[in-house]
Amino acid sequence: MSLSFQVPIFDVKNISFKANNQQILSNVSFEVFKGQYIAIIGPNGGGKTTLIRLLLGLEAPSSGEIKLYGKKIKNFRTWDKIGYVPQRASHVDENFPATVEDIVKMGRTSKRSIFTRFSKEDKDSVNDAMMKMDVLDLKDKMVGKLSGGQRQRVMIARALSSEPDILILDEPNTGVDMVSQKRFYALLSKLNKDEKITILFITHDIGVIADDIGRLLTVNQNVVVCNNPKETLGCDDMSSLYGVHAHLIHNHKHEH
Amino acid sequence: MFEVFDYDFMQRAFLAGIIIATLASISGTFVVLKRYSMMSETLAHSALVGVAVGLVAGYNPLWVAVVVAVLSAWIIEYLRSSFSLYSDAILSILLSGSLAVAIIIVSLGGAFNNSLLSYLFGSILSVSNADIVSISIFGTLSLILLLSFSKELYFIAYDEEVAKTSGIKVKALNFLLVTVVAVIIALSIRVVGSLLIGALMVIPTVSALQYRVGFLKTVLISLFIAIFSVIAGMIFSFYFSLPSGATIVLCVIFIFIISLLVNKK
Repeated sequence: MSLSFQVPIFDVKNISFKANNQQILSNVSFEVFKGQYIAIIGPNGGGKTTLIRLLLGLEAPSSGEIKLYGKKIKNFRTWDKIGYVPQRASHVDENFPATVEDIVKMGRTSKRSIFTRFSKEDKDSVNDAMMKMDVLDLKDKMVGKLSGGQRQRVMIARALSSEPDILILDEPNTGVDMVSQKRFYALLSKLNKDEKITILFITHDIGVIADDIGRLLTVNQNVVVCNNPKETLGCDDMSSLYGVHAHLIHNHKHEH
Repeated sequence: MFEVFDYDFMQRAFLAGIIIATLASISGTFVVLKRYSMMSETLAHSALVGVAVGLVAGYNPLWVAVVVAVLSAWIIEYLRSSFSLYSDAILSILLSGSLAVAIIIVSLGGAFNNSLLSYLFGSILSVSNADIVSISIFGTLSLILLLSFSKELYFIAYDEEVAKTSGIKVKALNFLLVTVVAVIIALSIRVVGSLLIGALMVIPTVSALQYRVGFLKTVLISLFIAIFSVIAGMIFSFYFSLPSGATIVLCVIFIFIISLLVNKK
């Protein structure tokens, strides 16, 4: 594959992470390349969110090394290439004085220096991001008045407005209804296919997205990478990951 | 009817009041959104320690107050960002501690008199031209700094962690914000008093938030409420011989109640 010629976006080598004398992650290694569509699954407390926080430099590993675009995290400067949507994104403070447009504009902050005005390029990126996430018609609405699904799309629009190479989402569907979930995954898949944005996200809805994802990282202190999850992920894998007996229920939606 | 404007001291008082209303309400927007409301109270009392030292040692109390308030702001921000302590408890400890230290310093120095009281409650009517010059210069510098980084500070107030992951220097900007707020508070206590500056910083923004509009409109409404309250409060205090700082605060609280009722869901 041509992948080996690229510098990986993330190059994770032998990282471990301990908190309060408890081992959260042990000796984890993997790479993330441009264009991949990766889901992270695993039991609660297994270290999924910690893994993402380590990738974003919000926590430092106890040992091992993470490189972004070939650079050590502390030397990495172009953070606007990385869009992050945290877990609590849909639970915003309802009184915070922000319209949808105010929030999406935040994504341009690190691209502008202190005295520059909001340029046409900034405006175009903000509008483009709102259009892609289908929130342009909500732009003057207060973000506290939106539904969970709408807020989620606004938060992703904010991440997109900095024109990132990769989107990292931590359980993006917490507090979002089923209809919005399906629409949401279709949008993620579209961003990956049409805009070539690398997607890395934590989910529990593995059944919903199994047809789309290209790689799966299973996290439970250790990380196991499945490169072809549809074929390799069976009941035994799920049982050992979650520590309970698992049944796979096949989704026949494409067979009609 | 407008004889209130005929007196030089009243003109100076209005000018100082409007400058401070502007500084307090704009910086107050960030203070409230970052949930630092209690910090403004604590810094106002830390500034009193500076006033006490200034009075006893014979330095200009205003400048010692600025130095002590800034140091205190840095300590609070350091404790908040480096230790997992209850931040409201830290503020409460520093607030009562500062007040106690200020009172002991002035009583030991034999200076517990009207001078300290004027900083506690403010004495807007005795504002001098020199006061106005120093408030204007340092107030303008503070405001320029705040407005230059307003989009970063707004992002941090909304979501500190996401701001950090998008490359914003969150720690440095948090220190910048508390420094600017400390300077504004220390400059203001001569005019509205340390007991009242917190109110002028927090209540206009909380009132403006009731209207549930975007960021820029919230800042403008807050600014309008602060300036209106200062002018109305001073006019009332002039005609009814009331203490000016307290009257201003009651005016701003009155507007807060109206804002609550008007925007009741």
